[in-house]
This record gives sequence, structure tokens and C-alpha cells, in this order.
Amino acid sequence: MMTTEFLVELEGIVGADGLVRDEGELITYESDGLVSHRSRPGAAVLPKTAEQVQAVVRLCHRTGIPFVARGQGTGLSGGALPHPDGVLIVMTRMTRVLDVDIPNQRITVEPGVVNLEVTRRVASDGYYYAPDPSSQVVCSIGGNVAENSGGAHCLKYGFTVHHVLGLEVVLPDGEMVHLGGEALDAPGLDLLGVVVGSEGTLGVVTKVTLRLLRRPESVRTLLAAFDSTDAAGNAVSDVIAAGIIPAAIEMMDRTTIRAAEAAVQPGFPDAEAVLIVELDGSQNEVETLFEQIEAVCAKNHGWGVQVARDDAQRGRIWMGRKAAFAAMGRVSPNYYVQDGVIPRGTLPEVLRRIRGLEQRSGLTIGNVFHAGDGNLHPLVCYDDAVEGQAELAEQAASEILTYCLDVGGSLTGEHGIGADKVCHMPKMFSEDDLATMQLVRAAFDPLGLCNPDKLLPTPRLCGEVPGPYRAHPIEVAGLAQRV
Amino acid sequence: MVTPALPHENLAAEVNARIGAPAARPGRDADRIDGVIPVVVVEPLTPEAVAIVLGWASETGRTVLTRGGGTKLARIPAPVSTVDVLLSTRGLNTVEVHRHGDLTATVQAGATLRETNAVLAEHRQWLALDPPRGDRATIGGILATNDSGPRRQGHGTPRDLIIGMTLARADGVVARSGGIVVKNVAGYDLARLMTGSFGCLGVILNATFKLAPLAGASRTVSVTFPDIDRCVAYADDLRVHAATPSALELAMPAVSMLVRFESVESVAEQQAYRAVALAEAKDGTAVVLSAENETVAWQAHGARVLEGEGTLVKLSVVSAQLLPTLIWLDAEARSRRLEYEVIGRAGLGVLCLRLNGATSDQAELLNALRGRLPVGSGSAVLQEAHADLKALVDVWGPIGDGLRMMQEVKRQFDPTATLNPGRGPGGL
Repeated sequence: MMTTEFLVELEGIVGADGLVRDEGELITYESDGLVSHRSRPGAAVLPKTAEQVQAVVRLCHRTGIPFVARGQGTGLSGGALPHPDGVLIVMTRMTRVLDVDIPNQRITVEPGVVNLEVTRRVASDGYYYAPDPSSQVVCSIGGNVAENSGGAHCLKYGFTVHHVLGLEVVLPDGEMVHLGGEALDAPGLDLLGVVVGSEGTLGVVTKVTLRLLRRPESVRTLLAAFDSTDAAGNAVSDVIAAGIIPAAIEMMDRTTIRAAEAAVQPGFPDAEAVLIVELDGSQNEVETLFEQIEAVCAKNHGWGVQVARDDAQRGRIWMGRKAAFAAMGRVSPNYYVQDGVIPRGTLPEVLRRIRGLEQRSGLTIGNVFHAGDGNLHPLVCYDDAVEGQAELAEQAASEILTYCLDVGGSLTGEHGIGADKVCHMPKMFSEDDLATMQLVRAAFDPLGLCNPDKLLPTPRLCGEVPGPYRAHPIEVAGLAQRV
Repeated sequence: MVTPALPHENLAAEVNARIGAPAARPGRDADRIDGVIPVVVVEPLTPEAVAIVLGWASETGRTVLTRGGGTKLARIPAPVSTVDVLLSTRGLNTVEVHRHGDLTATVQAGATLRETNAVLAEHRQWLALDPPRGDRATIGGILATNDSGPRRQGHGTPRDLIIGMTLARADGVVARSGGIVVKNVAGYDLARLMTGSFGCLGVILNATFKLAPLAGASRTVSVTFPDIDRCVAYADDLRVHAATPSALELAMPAVSMLVRFESVESVAEQQAYRAVALAEAKDGTAVVLSAENETVAWQAHGARVLEGEGTLVKLSVVSAQLLPTLIWLDAEARSRRLEYEVIGRAGLGVLCLRLNGATSDQAELLNALRGRLPVGSGSAVLQEAHADLKALVDVWGPIGDGLRMMQEVKRQFDPTATLNPGRGPGGL
């Protein structure tokens, strides 16, 4: 528990205006984007410098107080859910862009800098930052690092881990380390690759060096409607089979198309499914491959084709896609966003099961799909005012995860495990797998103070008996064994 | 040179009894690693057997060195003294599954890159890596060293392409991380932790990768320049013009560049001719190569550093330091009468240097080079070097303030110091 002495010391580090103790003010921080999980922190601090972060962590380490770092609070897995007896370290005041280094295609920022701000800073030089989660106008780089955020363009350009070159991290014992750097291939274990995506459980990131990409010479975006999600899925398979790696391929189903229309009027056709396909590269390459994409859509009976001719039209199509989550609020009082991943070819099977679930549960389930990389976002609609519906929705969302695991997929493609899915982990990983991951945590945080109760299940969190481990499909198929 | 004095036959028999198969034999002269003959060489045919060997070794306090194709064993510091077990992964050599519709494949660690890509080519896909000696280098070895080649420019490194892994820990426990889908953030990324760890944390059993489609056509622009300044300026020009080469390789001291474009034929051709025009504007003499001529040019490029005597050094610098570093290197090598060849990724600042001449001069040059590269802004790591040079120059160079945590991770994963002791990055 926090003592008065502890709070006095905390205030000494961050100043009176950097410490939040007022119960009313602390409500602001009691959840992240996953509002179904709430917990008020013992105290929140808003450090302005890496040194303040380090001093706070040192104090927590010395006194055995848990701590949780939080960026903009847009996460969807409860990864920044505060610890009731702990300190919430809110990074929103660390928003300096420290170095823009165009010749070396690098930018170094504090973790509170918003994702889209990075691109804004370098756009006039012809560069951009590739990872573009749907929340990029508000989410912070620190949060992106914690969650290894993806986005619509990660099929071709990868995830946050592919774009972070260097990190300054305050370890759970308060020591500050520098991982990676400006140059590639720093010798040593790839701790940077482990810290990215560790959901804030291995330390608090205080500085991030990112790789910038040259804007492609040409970008072209197409939207096509299909009479079934299967037909749209076949079109995606044909694109891949043709050896084309688009910058993005996104699919939306009827429910999410209608929601997006209601919210932002992107002018999408009223169809069972739409595909958004974006190509980028040299002008000649884009033009040549674009013809192939149009042919694939035609072959699969795509219709209502819209081709963005300029940035404004392209922006409108993407606005429709990126608004899809928030837009569900227009068609349903509440909704639960799921984040499973499936091998792309299993989409028809998984969607069939989701439709069956929809009928059985009576809940509407919309689907947004990063079709190129198999990341499925079912949106389970419910009404909190109807008794029992919230629980029903959560059960339905959990059931969808089992469909994903049944086909060899993953619990999460980009939202993270957090507090939300921690007890699902034994469904995807064996005890040995989880015990091996625990070795990483034991190395970084032997006292278990840094964002505890997230990511890895414990008997206390999930019951004494962990959920059943079920053989992975590649094991069932005899393609890998557990020994 | 250490001569093993143990009853080797007995130890091999003990291992075989544990595994229940004749996978172990006494080490021979041909198995030497930096002069040391391993007591036992084991080549298990199943992942279970690998785990049994490791469990036995860690229980009985024996050290295990891992070997795939044996192409990189000289890259790491010499074994401390004796090598009890040399564990070969070559018995695990199948492409387990190629999910061509998903552009992924799961491959056992002991399969060579060439074997792997021969299978993947049936569906016009490949594991987009081209490290040196890919005909012999195994998937496990390439991962353990995070090795790559010229086409890293377009496709990245093993670290960028890996999506899942099964590994055996030093204590014989088998664990899996990641999965078979390209997008996945469930759990810690043990696959990335293992990648580039030089076998010091576990033995890779299999790995799942994101694949690339094989391009329909390829063209390589071969350019010679009067000096390195114009060569590096040319690389910048290509970037400013948003060219998308799959490889962008410079070479020195005979200054030249190879720029590769892979796409459909008309696109590769058009990009190549645009690159020729840019080269000529920088006083380069350029030709466009395809088919056999292209293959030959790339082989000759790699051979500049891979064939020949001397030390191999992997050098990494930020783009802005590429030209100053190359100019400094040329002057320094000349003044010390050292022969050298450099090839490397002009767009990424990652170079391979071969250096030949008096050991003390090499050591002085390398130490001076490291002096120019503060931790984080560059590195020079010995890849192949004579024991005399390794005695004078640390293989890895400075690791930085992350070293303590790396040591802690090593302690957690391998508390008995069974696996490749002292041979991991930073001497882990």
C-alpha cells in the first residue's frame, strides 16, 4: 500500500501538478479503450522527462509498489488497466520530437507523441511512418511500441517492430538502458524485438527511434463490391496467387459497411462485402499491377468499382474503413471488438461459424478483416440496457476466439493480450510455452511490479487450474510434435 | 589444441541409449571447431531426440555446441576449452508445411535454405533471404545469426520474416512462440529473441516464416564509378527518386554498384533503364544484365569478400556515415598496407569487409574503426577471423548498457551454461 511518505516522495519527483490523487480525476484513468475493465489507480503521475520516469520507477521498485505505464489510453485489451494499489505512469506530457534526421531516415521521439504526428513532421520532406493503426490520430508511439501495433498497411510494410530502430527503456528496477540504436544490427540479443509488443510488462519506454520510409512514387486505391464475403475472399486469394503483395487489402461485411455509411458517408455500395485494395510503388509498377487487380475483381464478379483518383478520394475510402469500429456506435448502443487472426484461406469457414453464432445468440456481429494478413475484427453488438446482453456478447466474442484457434490462428493480431485475454492464453499455448515466456519476465522484472497481471496467466488471475491446452492444428496434422 | 582424453565411445553410447537410436558417435578430426575436437557428435532425427540430448547434457553438466551447415562456426569466439557435445541439426531437414495460399511455411531447422526454396518454388514462392553460402547454410543457422544478403534491401532479415518458432531449451523443455499467422501479438516474441542469439538460449527446432512470391522478372544494373563519392551519391539519388530496388549493393576499392529490380518484366525493365540514366548522370558506366549474365554478376559480387584470405567483418553505420567511413577505411587500409574488399547494402549501411595483412595492423585498424562508431550508431563485428586476431580484438565490440539484461536473459534460459557457452553475443 502507498504510504504518505511514498506519496510525498512521488510528488517530489513529478511536482504537485504531475501527481493525481483526486478520486474524481483518477476516474479519467480507470480504463483504456476497453471500458469493460475498470480499476482506479492508487495514484497517477504525469512525468515530463525520462529522468522523472526513472525516479518514479526506482521509487516503486524500492518500496514494492506496482506500476503501469499508459499512453493515450486507446488500447483495446486493457493493457493499460491500472493496478488498484499501484502508480499509473501517464506518458502524455512526454510529447517532444527530439530529432528529425532525414538524411538517415530516422526520427527520435518521446513516447507520448501521437502516431500521425510522426508522419506530419516529415511529410514535407517526402517521408512517412508506415504503421498506421486505425486510431493513429490519437494513439501514441509508446502505446504502439507496447502493443506492436499494426494497421491496414502491415501486409507489405510490417508492424511496429519492423520500424523501431532504437529504444530507451527504464527497466523495472529503475536502470535505464538503450536497445538498438540509429544504425542497424547492433550486436547483442534482440531485446528490442522482445520489448516491442511486451505490453508494458518489461519496462517503461522513454525514447523511441523510428525508421522513416520514402513516400512511394504512386499510390492507387480501389474499392469493389461483392455479393458474398466468399467471393471477396476468393478475390483476395487470387491476388496473392498472382504474386502481388498490395500495400493493403481490407474487407468489410454488410453490417460494417452500413455502419460506416451511417457514420461518415464514404459512399460505399450497399453490398454483402467490399474489398479495399491499395497498391503502391513506382508509377509503372502500380499501373501494371492495378490492371491485374481489376481483372481479379471482375473474375470474381466484383461490381461498383471505385478507383481513387486523388488523395481526397483515397482519403474518403480509408475514412470509411478506419471509422468502422467507432461507426458501430451508430447501429448499436454497445459493441465488443474482437481481434482474432486466422490463416487467410480459412476465412469462409470461420465466417460461417460466426454467422451460426450470430443466429444462435441473437446478437448482430459485423466483421472487418485485414484480409491480407488474416486479422479478423468481429464487432459483437449488444445493448447494455438489456440485462445479460453484455455477458452474452463477451461469451460470443470469446467463442469466436476458439474458432480462430481451431484453424491455427491467434488470440490477437494487434490489440494485445492485456488484462482482457490473459486467461485465454492457455488455450493457445502450453504450460511449457508460457513457462518459457515467463523466463523473459523473470529476467526483466523479478519482483513482478511492472504492469502485473497482464499478458501471462497466473493461477490467482485465472483459477488454480489453467484452461485446457488443446493441440495446435499443426500438431494434430503430425507436422510438429510437443516433446 | 586440446586433445580429448575421455572414453568417447562410452559417452556416445550413453547418448544413444538415452535417445534410443544410434544418433551419436565420437568426434573426429573433421569435426574440429577452432581446433577443438568435440567428444561426441550427435545428429538426432527427431525434435524429441534433440530435447533428450539437451536434458541429458544440462543434467550432467556437459556443454553443447550447435551446428547446422557449419558455415558460420568460425564466426564466433573459439570454444573455451573442451566441447562435450556437438549437436547437428542436419537430421531435422524437412519443409514441414508450405501454406502457399497464406504465403507461409514451417521448416525444420536443419533444412538448408536451398533445399527449402526448392520446395517453395513449386508454388512460385520463396523464403526471401539470400545470405552467403545459402546452398549449405541451414534455416537454424541463418536464424541463429540473423544472417541476410543483398536482397535484404527489399525483403529484410530473418528477424523480419519469422512469425513462429519451436525451440528446445537447454534443460530439454520444448516451447513454442508465435504461430502460423503473419500477424500475431500473443505472448512474448521468443522467436525474435532467439533470432540472432547465436544459439546461446536454446536450440531452434523449426520456424515459420512469412514468404514472398517469386518475381516474374529480374534485371540488374551494373555500374562502375570513378570514385566512391559518386557511387554513394548515386544510392541517394535512387532513394530520392523513390526507386524500389530489391538489392542495392556497393563494392570497393574497385568502385561499382549492382542494383536489382524484381517485378513483372516490363516494370523491372523500365526501372532498370531509369536507374541507368541516373547512373550516367553521376558519371557511372552502366549496363543492364539479365538471365545468366545477371547470375554471374551477383556471384562475382559475393565472391569479392567471401573468397580469399583474411578476416571477415560485418560493419554497420548510419547512412550519413557511409561515405566518410568508406573513405576513412580506404585511406587507413592503404596506409597500413592491408588488402581489403568491401561489399554491402548501400541503402541500409550494412557492409561486409574482408581484410588481409599483418594481424597487428588489422587489429589496430579494427580498433580505430570501432572508435569511430559509438554504441548505437554503428558496429564492427568479426565474422571470420584467425585465432591470433581474436586474441587481440573482441569479436563483438561494445554491446552497450543492455548487456546486463542480456546476461540475465541467458541465465534464465540456460542457468547451467550448457548451450554454446561464451559464444553468444557479448560473450554470453
